Amino acid sequence: MTGRRAHRSAEDVERVDLEVGSYRLAAWRKGQGEPAAVCVHGAGVSSREWLPLVAELGCARQVWTVDLPGFGASRGLSRTIGLPALTDALVDWLAAARLTRACLIGGSFGCQVAVDAAVRYPDRVSHLVLVGPTVDPAGRTFSRQAVRWLRNARWESPRMALLNIADYRDAGLRRVAAAFREALVDRVEDKLPYVAVPTLVVRGDRDQLVPQAWAEEVTRLLPRGRLAVVPGAGHMVPFRSPSRVARVIDDFLAGRAR
Amino acid sequence: MKARKAVASFDSATGMLRALSRFLAGRDIPNLGQFPGAVEPALSALFGAVNRLPRRIREKAYAFSGWAEAIPHDRVGQVRSDELAAWVAGHYPRRRYPAVFVGSSNGAMVHLAAALGAPWLPQTLLLPVRRRGVRRDDVEGDLRAGLEPARALLRANPDLALHHMHDPNQDWLMIAGMTYFRTKWLRLPQAYRDFLRFSLAPGGTLVVVDCQLRWPVTRVDDRYVFQAGALGGATVEEYHHGGPRVAQFLACYGSPRQAWTPPPPDEECPEAEWGFEPALFDDLAALAADEGWQVRVLRFDTPERLSPVVADLYRSWYADRGLPTDRLLVECFLLLEPWWTLRTGSVPFWAVFNTETSHAALRAYLDSVDPYDEIRLMLFSHGTDSIGLAPIEAWQALVSRGRKIGRLVGVDPQEYPRDFASLVRAHRELAQVRTCYPLPRPLGLDEVDRLLAGHDGIPWHPSPA
Repeated sequence: MTGRRAHRSAEDVERVDLEVGSYRLAAWRKGQGEPAAVCVHGAGVSSREWLPLVAELGCARQVWTVDLPGFGASRGLSRTIGLPALTDALVDWLAAARLTRACLIGGSFGCQVAVDAAVRYPDRVSHLVLVGPTVDPAGRTFSRQAVRWLRNARWESPRMALLNIADYRDAGLRRVAAAFREALVDRVEDKLPYVAVPTLVVRGDRDQLVPQAWAEEVTRLLPRGRLAVVPGAGHMVPFRSPSRVARVIDDFLAGRAR
Repeated sequence: MKARKAVASFDSATGMLRALSRFLAGRDIPNLGQFPGAVEPALSALFGAVNRLPRRIREKAYAFSGWAEAIPHDRVGQVRSDELAAWVAGHYPRRRYPAVFVGSSNGAMVHLAAALGAPWLPQTLLLPVRRRGVRRDDVEGDLRAGLEPARALLRANPDLALHHMHDPNQDWLMIAGMTYFRTKWLRLPQAYRDFLRFSLAPGGTLVVVDCQLRWPVTRVDDRYVFQAGALGGATVEEYHHGGPRVAQFLACYGSPRQAWTPPPPDEECPEAEWGFEPALFDDLAALAADEGWQVRVLRFDTPERLSPVVADLYRSWYADRGLPTDRLLVECFLLLEPWWTLRTGSVPFWAVFNTETSHAALRAYLDSVDPYDEIRLMLFSHGTDSIGLAPIEAWQALVSRGRKIGRLVGVDPQEYPRDFASLVRAHRELAQVRTCYPLPRPLGLDEVDRLLAGHDGIPWHPSPA
């Protein structure tokens, strides 16, 4: 493990940069214990939006959030890469971080990366948590997603908009557009039946990008899926309601019923 | 007086009639079948806005809705039994049916009839009558206020029995300005005879739905009884003699009384809303004999007894069709969706109401069967913190027994039991469930016999035992 370490906040969240192949991936960690949980961000954004959940969840377990190549504080990527390459980088990062098996917590497009990892690298994933899984096949066009995104905006914290702007600036518009294109091209519903690990699907009950029917469909397609709905939250539930999401994830990982 | 104006639209019998008749016409039931589906988004928004009003205003709005559809006191004598029967029969598509159900209201029976592709003619209807000057907690006052219109109704309709009912627990909001007249046909009305002769296929089956639930009543006249209380959260003892829960309920709603003081009962009769009055059976048997129809009696002691039986029947039916058997749809009171039940491949379990008793019945059912992956529950909101109401957390705990999905459909847990938007949103959300199946061909009676065989205490008799 190489790289610099710095305290990100007063809540013992530690930054850890790792060399993974030609990339230098930035990640943040809190807590101890196995299995570790690793948060995977959505299209065009970064770990910034996950830090509130890491702070909550890290009180009881080891939690990471990692910036995928080309996003946030990660470095070493000069071009755009597709979803399979992002998955490969994530799995390589797990090895570099010495996490033999991890619970992957995807958010939005990060769910598609996490599902891809669970299907292609089943021995590296112990559990999945899919928060606001994209993309609903009933809205799989750029224009429909844009309309849903606008309708969803009223349910998000205004503070998150500033983080999103910083993320888009870090990634650059070309990579942001490429990530959205990847999200639309990937047919996650074809992969879900092959996810063998226990999976928790989390949806904010105001999420306009992920309708209830799609969240239920995702859960149904997962052989070991379970759905939890968080009241009063939109698409980015972990940022809006980190303590509630941490609670349902803790219950899930502890094998407790809702 | 027009029948459609006389009969309560917001009642179990009417709700079930609408649900089944629309199903047989190939339609679902947006807005409880009272408004076109196109206005559902607008109504959902409107009721959502009502949900945000202060509690007092919401309660008054609910009570007003009941009063508004009640019959003016002086027009009750203009109601005619035959017009009521013609109005009921007119709901159904005109065609031949292999079987017709007649008798008690029951949500599970609606699903059994839907599986057979059969209509149902209710024995009991609710006629709400406007009333002034009587406090809600004054049970005897309600009886006195109803005497004159009751006698006018009975004089004009010799084939009807009147069960004048006053439930100051669950109907606390509704009884603010109206009296409940539940009428039961003692003789088969001509419109029912005509419907049966036209619609029941030669050699078809007449199914008499015989709920044997009884309740203590005070006899007022030959065809007129008064029933204090009703099946639900409070016991007969509590209605008649009070108790700590009654005192607490009355205090909570600002009543100076400690208990209700209904007139003492002098006999037991078929329960006003659910019970079957056996006098009708003679006419049904005679008509069936004349026409060469078979007669079956679907007999059960309490309304909910039928729910697990029909749920098991549907589960076996789905298995026979090669469909998944892992979806459960729990319905409550008049929130019924036979069309979406079959469309979504859901096993129906009907709960009589939102009470602890119904909660216990659902829990017992879930304890007794293989677990479901998906459990959805449509929960009826009646606006009152009534005695015996099961709290929302208890319902949430039951639906969370779904291995994958457990969900209250259309319910706002914060507002329950004053969540009036759920009356519209239940259908709206149910209609969004994905993975649907083609509607099956109706079951044959022989298949129902086979599916019900082996059920302990099958409430399904080939003859009137």
